[in-house]
Amino acid sequence: MQWLTIFKRENLEAARNFKWVWVPLVFIILGVTDPLSTYYLPEILDSMGGLPEGATVDIPTPPPGEVLIMSLSQFNMLGVLIVVLMSMGTISGERKSGVAELVLVKPVHYHTYISAKWAGTLGIVAVSLFLGLLSSWYYTNLLIGDVAFGQFMQLFLFYGVWLALVVTFSLFFNTLFRSPGMVSFLTLAVVILISMVSNVLSHILTWSPGLMIPHLSTMLAEGSVPGELWAATSISLATIVILLIASTLVFRTKEMA
Amino acid sequence: MFETIEWGIIAPLIVIELILKIVALISLSRTNTTYGPKWLWILIILIINTIGPVAYFIVGRRGDG
Repeated sequence: MQWLTIFKRENLEAARNFKWVWVPLVFIILGVTDPLSTYYLPEILDSMGGLPEGATVDIPTPPPGEVLIMSLSQFNMLGVLIVVLMSMGTISGERKSGVAELVLVKPVHYHTYISAKWAGTLGIVAVSLFLGLLSSWYYTNLLIGDVAFGQFMQLFLFYGVWLALVVTFSLFFNTLFRSPGMVSFLTLAVVILISMVSNVLSHILTWSPGLMIPHLSTMLAEGSVPGELWAATSISLATIVILLIASTLVFRTKEMA
Repeated sequence: MFETIEWGIIAPLIVIELILKIVALISLSRTNTTYGPKWLWILIILIINTIGPVAYFIVGRRGDG
């Protein structure tokens, strides 16, 4: 199987430059941060001082599900940043250094190369998100309150679709430009634009993938999957497919030129 | 303050942070060329938590991406 060979090469590369180690570890650290800081908030305020003697501060503990949503927001800022920076050179860097030519001089289809790259990056991101959210879920259950494992899986699957969309955007810009800096800049710009526009027009663009987290929060509160969430997920999946096809086409014309 | 913190809860976080630093240092020792002097990266990885190793992995290495 040719695809498997390319995919294995991708994973070997990621293991050699420790992507398989550091990305999951950073996601775990990000996931643990919110339950811990929520739990220790009174102590943290205490040690900061500055409160007058005898002042009592009542900070209501957020519901356990909300803490997981806080972790997701954390992934949505720093996690997305790491995903973009990690994947910025995956094709563009190889074209710069000439490795892509070494691979493509053999009878490898462009779509094989692109899809193997995509699957390789997505694998790392999915495992990292799973471990990060799992540690957040574990600490939330330990320190704050129970969240069902089924709800954790729902959060992981739905939010994973959004991160997959980010990875696909990054891959698409990878085929367009040779400079990793340009790739990361454009990917971040698109992601920020999607989030900003859908937050401003949240009443009109209810199906926007950028509103995944508010929809997930509603899902936890109501206990059922809202229709907007399905819409956002379908739109994301459709965009992923279109971008993958577009990447292959762009890559083909760029390589021929 | 320290009595109120249960170390069983914090310990895994410290261990993960240590692994991250060690992996970054191993990677640094295997790389021939870095952006900027190597000793500076050693300091950055050791002193700045989480962000130090991440910065090294993203922008520290030259060539092998």
